[in-house]
Amino acid sequence: MLSFATNTLSFATPLIFAALAGYLSERSGVINIALEGKMLLAACLAAIVGAALGPVAGIAAGLAAAVGLSMLHAIATQTYRVDHVVSGMAVNAIAAGAANFVLLQNRDTALAKAVQLPPLGVFQVLALLSVVVIALWVANTRAGLRLVAVGNDPFKARLAGLQPVHIRFAALVGTGLLAGLGGIYLVANSAGNYTDNMTAGRGYIALAALILGGWRPVASLVVCLVFAAFAALSVQFQGQPFLGLAVPGEFWTALPYVVTLIALALAMGRTRAPGGLGRF
Amino acid sequence: MKHPYFRLALLVLAAIVAVALLFTTVDRPLPEVWEGFVRGTTGTPIAWTGTLRETTPLLLLGAGVFIALRAGLFNIGIEGQFIVGAACSTWVALNVPGPPGTEPVRMLLAMLAGGVSGALWALPAAWIKAYRNGHEVISTIMLNSIAIALTDFLVAGPLKDPKGASPSTARLSEAMRLPFAFSQGNLQVSSGLLLGIALAVAMYLWLRFRVAGYELRLTGENPTAARAAGVSVARVTMAAMVASGAIGGAAGAIHVLAFEGRFYQGFSPGYGFDALGVALLAAGNSLLLIPAGFLFGFLTKGGASLQVFGVPKGITTIMLGLIILVAAAIRYRRESNDA
Repeated sequence: MLSFATNTLSFATPLIFAALAGYLSERSGVINIALEGKMLLAACLAAIVGAALGPVAGIAAGLAAAVGLSMLHAIATQTYRVDHVVSGMAVNAIAAGAANFVLLQNRDTALAKAVQLPPLGVFQVLALLSVVVIALWVANTRAGLRLVAVGNDPFKARLAGLQPVHIRFAALVGTGLLAGLGGIYLVANSAGNYTDNMTAGRGYIALAALILGGWRPVASLVVCLVFAAFAALSVQFQGQPFLGLAVPGEFWTALPYVVTLIALALAMGRTRAPGGLGRF
Repeated sequence: MKHPYFRLALLVLAAIVAVALLFTTVDRPLPEVWEGFVRGTTGTPIAWTGTLRETTPLLLLGAGVFIALRAGLFNIGIEGQFIVGAACSTWVALNVPGPPGTEPVRMLLAMLAGGVSGALWALPAAWIKAYRNGHEVISTIMLNSIAIALTDFLVAGPLKDPKGASPSTARLSEAMRLPFAFSQGNLQVSSGLLLGIALAVAMYLWLRFRVAGYELRLTGENPTAARAAGVSVARVTMAAMVASGAIGGAAGAIHVLAFEGRFYQGFSPGYGFDALGVALLAAGNSLLLIPAGFLFGFLTKGGASLQVFGVPKGITTIMLGLIILVAAAIRYRRESNDA
């Protein structure tokens, strides 16, 4: 039972970071399907730079890469007004290509050494704290309310004297940092090593959790924990019958996606989405 | 006031510099790498065969994404529809019995199975978009992941070749393979490529000269105006998404029958995502799918042949991402200038 609880928290942590990253972005009105790419490149650079130059440099490189990708998304969507989905796809492709490139050019470093990252507990506490801090910050501070205002209706926000583009750039820096932390956690969780395509769709699951949580931080946290609990269950019951049935591992993999799809079909994504998503 | 194209030129320049910087980290001398790239893509008959092989699924899937895009829908789910179509058509091709000589009929049946299963896989996303106003990007991303999990399970269990060790179906017999449209020595052109070209041309004519095609374009460009003109936006949305899924599934069937001859875990190396780039590059004209599909096929094949020189194939993924960004920036710049 204890291993189930620790597994759940461990699976949930990267999802929480990524869902919060998505929260800042989407609440400011920027659709973000590029969480996956940001996590992946952050994980890759944290492991490889970390192995070569030490953990501080590794974490810095990982965060910088994720913020850099986030800025690319911001420039494309805000300065060039590229469709947010198209830009997100392109950023994911660039991140996947860059991770592959960096890994293959530095395979010797990656194989020889692992980066010594802080213990997992530090990340887990940080993830939970971030949820509380961001929830309170958005609801109670001037800056937080502006973020939501810009995301709900950029046109009216502009009439009120706000500059949506500036606020979105700032929000996307936060998105990059949080998504980067999610990627770095994955490296810490695999003893400091990076493996190809390490994120395995977690960026998309986090996006699903954000939507199911109605674009609210605490509700999204709960969804992340539920998804992680399912993943922990699948580890617990690997190869064993569950409630008398032989459930294949792929069933547990697909479960969060199926639940999200059903929720979308029940029109849960309609009313609660920020009104200004993808608009100017 | 800056010149309107100043920023665009800056973006193109930045993309070129980024790619050039990547190539400076390569150990081998650049002329040699370039020569290898050219030889590996278009230098020999075998290279041409490979480039056109990569082009075929990209063109077909690009056409699938294109038809949805013209109706204003992002079918990111084409990847899942491709995989599901490939799995179902392989099953049909392997299991529908028939005396020798009926292979063409059975291949047609397999393609039909691919198309129908792809359409069914797109159906939830179509319905959620048309009647529940849920974003099709989210639902299709979910459907892609479900498709991968489902086919992974099927091909490791019920569909697995009992004689094989890896998670893969049995191989189709030689008679159950699509014939080449052209074959001379090492240069082989699949009839799948011709189907792709025919589809792009047919799509062009249909969108231009049929009422339904006009309604589809109208819905994509301005749903409010379409509604006011009496077009049922929900119906067009359903039709466009399902047609896109059917093309995706049929492309999966063609990929099995023409090239792979079986279905296995990790069947698609991300063709569906590249296809979105192909469709975006083609912008408003489906005839442009043909050169766009070729460009992406060319780069993919080139990336594979660069691996011989120790250049990671990620370099072409980065280039494809940059091409998508630049093409989209040009496209949206043009639209906002018109406005």
